[in-house]
Amino acid sequence: MMPGGTPMSNEHPQINNTIPKSPYPLTREDFISDQMVKWCPGCGDHAILSAVSKVFPEIGYKKENYVLVSGIGCSSRFPYYVNTYGFHGIHGRAMAIASGVKIANPSLSVWIITGDGDSMAIGGNHFIHLIRRNIDVNLLLFNNQIYGLTKGQYSPTSPLGAITKTSPYGTIEHPFTPGELVLGAQGTFFARGIDAQPKMLTEIMFEAARHDGTSVVEVLQNCVIFNDGAYDHLASREYRDERTIYLEQGKPMLFGANKDKGLRWNGSGLEVIKLGENGWGINDVLVHDATNPDPGLHLSLAKMNWPELPVAFGVIRSVKAPTYDDLMEEQIQRIKAQSPIKCMDDLLNSGDTWEIE
Amino acid sequence: MKELRLMKGNEAIAEAAIRAGADAYFGYPITPQSEVIEYLMAEKPHERTGMVVLQAESEVAAINMVYGAAACGKRAMTSSSSPGISLKQEGISYIAGAELPCLILNVVRGGPGLGTIQPSQSDYFQATKGGGHGDYRLIVLAPASVQEMYDFVKLSFDLAFKYRNPVMILSDGVIGQMMEKVEIGEQYPRLTNEQIDELYPWATTGKKPGKDRRIITSLELDPGRQEQHNLKLQAKYKKMQEEEVRYEALNCEDAEYLLVAFGSSARICQKAMDLGRAKGLKIGLLRPITLFPFPSKILHELATKVKGMLTVEMNAGQMVEDVRLAVCGKVKVEHYGRFGGMIPSPAEVLHALETKIIGG
Repeated sequence: MMPGGTPMSNEHPQINNTIPKSPYPLTREDFISDQMVKWCPGCGDHAILSAVSKVFPEIGYKKENYVLVSGIGCSSRFPYYVNTYGFHGIHGRAMAIASGVKIANPSLSVWIITGDGDSMAIGGNHFIHLIRRNIDVNLLLFNNQIYGLTKGQYSPTSPLGAITKTSPYGTIEHPFTPGELVLGAQGTFFARGIDAQPKMLTEIMFEAARHDGTSVVEVLQNCVIFNDGAYDHLASREYRDERTIYLEQGKPMLFGANKDKGLRWNGSGLEVIKLGENGWGINDVLVHDATNPDPGLHLSLAKMNWPELPVAFGVIRSVKAPTYDDLMEEQIQRIKAQSPIKCMDDLLNSGDTWEIE
Repeated sequence: MKELRLMKGNEAIAEAAIRAGADAYFGYPITPQSEVIEYLMAEKPHERTGMVVLQAESEVAAINMVYGAAACGKRAMTSSSSPGISLKQEGISYIAGAELPCLILNVVRGGPGLGTIQPSQSDYFQATKGGGHGDYRLIVLAPASVQEMYDFVKLSFDLAFKYRNPVMILSDGVIGQMMEKVEIGEQYPRLTNEQIDELYPWATTGKKPGKDRRIITSLELDPGRQEQHNLKLQAKYKKMQEEEVRYEALNCEDAEYLLVAFGSSARICQKAMDLGRAKGLKIGLLRPITLFPFPSKILHELATKVKGMLTVEMNAGQMVEDVRLAVCGKVKVEHYGRFGGMIPSPAEVLHALETKIIGG
């Protein structure tokens, strides 16, 4: 977790890879661009932008080694507003474009900015293959359960029955739970946050940056114009303690205003227990282990939905696995070492050679 | 008493689809044409005629859904705007290769790439020269009013089934978004499965005793047979050129100077022509309604009567190439264009005509 209150350090001990670190401390002002932010007043995207501008200096890479790659949608305007390199790509293709960026230049810290339309609908194919390859990039999925840029049609995450411009009588489509898709694609990192809780969001993003491999952060985000209040039942102070749970590594899965409710595995699924009732105690409560290679429990946690179960926030899964970038580099080096061709003469004299007389 | 309604061009397309007896619409939202699917969803066509409407996960999915529905002999359509139409090109090529009928609406916006959401006519080449891979053509209709948006839907389905060929309505952001009065036509019934089976021997309606299996494909590995298939397609396109050319000629009888424009540019040119005529300039307007087949013959004839032609397009000069081919050097042909979502004014067009053709 991010050290609370400690001064920002340019040699952060927890970030350990080949991306060049900034020789001097950066601040959030370094990452704010001169562009006018064109999201609607009250849009959840503002909170995510604020979180990113806090996390980037904390991670400590050189400013010029960050690149933001987006697709198309409201979320995809993000690269204009962050003072790093940016790529406003093609609808649904940010995952493929970012794959190209990272593979071609592994010294970049690549952040994909995408939405539920961009990554779950037209980009669904690229989304799962990015994750399956485990390319070392970070993906922020702004999930507002609606197409905002085209002004209010249902998306693949809109709940069944949602009334939108293209479903005036309710959708008849079963929504994706992005976490389920990530784990189904053998994802090594999945976390969920919400725009209304920016501190948690920055902590999650930092963990995502630390992860080697594809890290997916789903951010539940309010669309103030076309789907206002979609997460009020989770985000408001009145409900958040009882209806959501913040999962922390190595800690019991407790929630509720008094932390008196817990999650228990009842043999076939998760259930909520109240400590002190029916003889339940802290020892009956599951302890969160995001690093367990078995995705079974992570899947159950990712799928939890209110009112049956609290919605899970935090890092749900974070496991070590070889990244595509590392495997590719390793393969290149191995083949090069094995190759009998070390110079031009070796090449010219290799294979079938003959003399012209 | 005719039914009149004030409608957006995109809404007129949607209402016309229901009225034309369309069976299925598949689409994906994109500005400036999202009203097509929104109108269809709100109108409950499944209750009015049984027509189905589906919001796909992408434009690629939508065109392939059209491919499937068209193979069943159903009247299927999709709509999008430029970037989305680019995505559909693979499917369109296959549909043309498999000789299936369907309707594709392109409400064009400025490009290339994501470009802009403002009106443009920069997809003329893509629409008329093929778009996807391989030697194929679409019948391309260019409406210049909301009424034509409405009327061309039924016409498109009729032509698509007559030729077993995809038809494209090439509109633009102006026509799609503007509101005009529309005369609503009658409700044509959807065909029953029995009628489809009777009318379209190619349709995959299920293997019945005594009937051959029907297979939809665009693949033929034997080059000799693939050449025969191409020759058959070319013969079909030639027949379209002989029988389906449509255009509107305004003031061409005494014209000394000719404006050539399609779609919303033609509306602007009409005003420019009036401004010029008020100044004593004998200006005519030739508006191609079918962009393929192109009205080459009438342009060839007019080339001997006028002193010069100016094509006005919201692009960098695309249709002008077809006009030059048609007039074959007989008369000077120049182009005036605005692009990237900019729309020319009538005064601008008249000025271009005066400087490039009349004084040039």
